[in-house]
Amino acid sequence: MSTPSTVDRPGFRAPSALRLASRGTLMITVLRVVFLAALAIIALSSPGFLSAASLLSLVTTASFVGCVAVGMTLLTMSGNIMSFSLGATVSATTLVFTAALLSWGIVPAILLSLMFGALVSLAQGLIIGWLGANPLVVSIAFFGLLIGIAPWCTDGNSLFIPPGSGQELLRGKLFGLPIEFLLMVGVAVIGQLLLTFTVFGRNLMMVGSSRRAAEAAGIRVWRTTASAYLWAGLFAAVPGMLLAARYSKGNMDYGATFDYDAITAVIIGGTAIEGGRGSIVRTIIGVVIMEVIRVILLLNGFRQEWQYLISGITILAVILLQTTIARK
Amino acid sequence: MFNRRLLVPYLRPSAVLLAVILILAVIDGSHGRFLSSSIVFSVLQMFATVGPIALGVGMTMIIREFDLSVAGMVGMAGCIAVLTGGDNPWLGLAAAVGTGLCTGLLQGFIIARLKLPSIGVTLGGLLVFLGVSYALTGSRSIQYDDLEVAGLLGQHIFGFFSIPSLIILVIFAVVALIFGMTKLGRDLLAVGGDRRAALSAGIRVDTLLIGTFAFSGALAAMCGALLGYSLASAAPTGLSNVLVPATTAAILGGVSLSGGTGRPLGIALGTLTLSVLQSGLNALGLSSYAHEIFVGLVLLAIAILDGTAFNARLDMLRLALRRS
Repeated sequence: MSTPSTVDRPGFRAPSALRLASRGTLMITVLRVVFLAALAIIALSSPGFLSAASLLSLVTTASFVGCVAVGMTLLTMSGNIMSFSLGATVSATTLVFTAALLSWGIVPAILLSLMFGALVSLAQGLIIGWLGANPLVVSIAFFGLLIGIAPWCTDGNSLFIPPGSGQELLRGKLFGLPIEFLLMVGVAVIGQLLLTFTVFGRNLMMVGSSRRAAEAAGIRVWRTTASAYLWAGLFAAVPGMLLAARYSKGNMDYGATFDYDAITAVIIGGTAIEGGRGSIVRTIIGVVIMEVIRVILLLNGFRQEWQYLISGITILAVILLQTTIARK
Repeated sequence: MFNRRLLVPYLRPSAVLLAVILILAVIDGSHGRFLSSSIVFSVLQMFATVGPIALGVGMTMIIREFDLSVAGMVGMAGCIAVLTGGDNPWLGLAAAVGTGLCTGLLQGFIIARLKLPSIGVTLGGLLVFLGVSYALTGSRSIQYDDLEVAGLLGQHIFGFFSIPSLIILVIFAVVALIFGMTKLGRDLLAVGGDRRAALSAGIRVDTLLIGTFAFSGALAAMCGALLGYSLASAAPTGLSNVLVPATTAAILGGVSLSGGTGRPLGIALGTLTLSVLQSGLNALGLSSYAHEIFVGLVLLAIAILDGTAFNARLDMLRLALRRS
């Protein structure tokens, strides 16, 4: 759960190094370790947790939300809180992918899907960054447009992919691992590399912690914002393609809860909702925590719905502890 | 006596409402499907469903916070009302509204006293409420046996109204009066506009914050309880889209997420716009997608026009055009 070292960068505030010394951080670290250890013990003592089937299901379902959560992390860190339209982007991408696959084949379908996700999100990024519009309102507006226009194009029906259309490329396994998982890891690695090693990543954190200071430092804030949205859309297109390929169907319901799941993972991972601080690694840990809880509940015979209660309490606990202890 | 400045906050919401009515009337032409008396009842029924949530969320937006938890509260309150109101519907309603009030107070307290971001806290609340309603109902839809109550709530009163729509109209009227006539409205706008200035002006910011979240929770709960009774059943709603229409209605009514603008009457106008649009499109036989697209476009237009850099960018474009 370590944040990438940023101390050696000139002009960049170094919260991780300074805060390490404080007692508050120590306490947070202890709490984190205790929580993760408890979770691990409960998980390992649940009958069948380590079975191949349950691990496989854990890894696969975590991958879909994981990609969205990586994009959401970029948006949260850039100071734009969250988006309500990434889930709808995933759903709409399943339709775009399906339609393109039926007409032109697998490679154009992949390219078109990625382009679709990126463009839908970039448009929002430009409106938010260049015109200074409110990110939540813009994302709600795009949510409406996506769930209105996409089913209108298909008359409200799902689109089905007949077997052998090439969607097999995006499902199954590679080196014994589900392809969904590999792509999610790829998305997460790209996201973390962007944050740690690029000018964009550095600017993003600066814009997120203080928009005005970033402007004063000569950063073109609107470009950073637009780029964050571009990447988030690109990342959201990936689970769209994967879901369509996995279920051989394009459907507007697939991404319905992804916005909430993703922001839950972002917050549980410990990325600050007010922006500026956070990392992709943390978000992925958040996704894994949520999925592990879900699998534990299932294995112990609880209904999956209890997950909401536990996620909610975890979020409240994380926010309360993180902010109150860090302030002391 | 007549003060023109009082009307300014209502200009845009009224204009949008009139535009929607005009567009629908033009689409309808001379068929008489839209401008009929039966549509008034359906508009008011929808107004009664979205109105309380829009008012609650809208008030939290006015003070520059955002209450996501209403989406969970509506479902949970419905389940509580149906489960506890078996013998006496008033008891169920009281239990639901009481729960909404208390959880709202609690969330407001955490947000105000610990100075935490409201989106994070209410997201936690949303998931907890959702979880509780699944736990209460065992993930099933539960029935309310007293069908008389459902009949009563669905009855036409004075032709156009029903009990739920009368209740919410009265609530809107009372809140608008208090907001306009007392110091409270001005204070709330000040808290949303500039919190530090409000604090130094001696406004009790924490109390207002806590109160607003309690108000929002209680209204969402009342809405959920009435909904549960009218449908004679309640079910955990999932992450249903209660939040999006409510926020949309508030924004259409002139509330901004950056705080400090908006009036209760404006929110009523926004809710009315949304209700007219949905019922009107239904009456015209247009698909529900048209509603989503239209709302999306209007919201987008409002977001762009309210953009902090909009005027500066417009000037930039003008200059560039002149130079070329």
